[in-house]
Amino acid sequence: MTDIQALILALLQGVSELFPVSSLGHTILVPALLHWTNIDRANPTFLAFVVVLHLGTAVALIVYYRARWWAIVRALVASVVRGRLSDDRDERIGWLLVVGTIPVGVLGVLFEEPVRALFGSPAPAALFLAANGLVMFAGEALRRRQLANPARADRPIEHLSFAQSVLVGFAQSFALLPGISRSGASMVAGLLCDLDHEDAAEFSFLLATPVIFAAALLETRYLMAPGAHVVLLQALLGGVVAAVAAYVSVAFLMRYFKSNDLRPFGWYCLIVGVCCYILSKRGLLS
Amino acid sequence: MKPLALLLALVFFVLGALYGLGTINFMTKSGTEHAHHVSHLVICWVLALLCLIWYRFQSAPTR
Repeated sequence: MTDIQALILALLQGVSELFPVSSLGHTILVPALLHWTNIDRANPTFLAFVVVLHLGTAVALIVYYRARWWAIVRALVASVVRGRLSDDRDERIGWLLVVGTIPVGVLGVLFEEPVRALFGSPAPAALFLAANGLVMFAGEALRRRQLANPARADRPIEHLSFAQSVLVGFAQSFALLPGISRSGASMVAGLLCDLDHEDAAEFSFLLATPVIFAAALLETRYLMAPGAHVVLLQALLGGVVAAVAAYVSVAFLMRYFKSNDLRPFGWYCLIVGVCCYILSKRGLLS
Repeated sequence: MKPLALLLALVFFVLGALYGLGTINFMTKSGTEHAHHVSHLVICWVLALLCLIWYRFQSAPTR
């Protein structure tokens, strides 16, 4: 892997992990589009590089939401010590995040490898990316139908039920499929649970943080793999680039979703997914 | 629900230990057992911990 390739992949990871466009799908499709045949995704040195990119993304999310995370962790510890749930907002959000993380944690550990083995090539990734776009359109359509019903009103994150949090967490686990976006799927589920776009995005990012961080930590063994030191500098540089890109992305998206919706990302996923699928069928993706 | 919480905690703890020891291989990829067993062990023990917290919430004195 060249330095330029490493930088492009780091930038791609940092941005596409948080934008609702599937980072996994993009890290499969972009190298295939650019005919980067020198990149072996199963090579332990490449996996070590990817681990550092994920760590960088998770650190960026933790730094962006540092005040929120600090309040949540303190409230969670206090509630365990007390042995009782209270009406505290941060505590409620903390337990919603814990409950919502269980489905993706369990399904990720059990199914990540077989799913990637089945669908980790450009054609399925392109199809799932197009499907991701359709899911966002469907989510927005259902959301507009909800808004038309005067009996329903938006609610803040802490008013979600635990069952709804599990639903959002379960939606997030569809991101195991290359091309399906973690934040897109969980945002759509959040919207259907009566969150507004801003709260759905925030809950999605908060929910993604422990998952990305834990997944990276569980894969740190690749950093000890023989030859991993060869990509150490690239990985460190890539990790910093991914972290900066992720921080800028989350800051942008939180402003964007104050007054905008998922449809532009839906169009992007649909068009890019269909185009990449056609290219893959014509043998133009390697 | 208290016995159920304890029972589930015990089940997840034992399941995690069995994955860690390599005694069971359910839903692990062959060839790289060690790494995958660590993932399974961690998720099982996290679930066991959550069950213990659930037990704690049911055991603490009410106001």
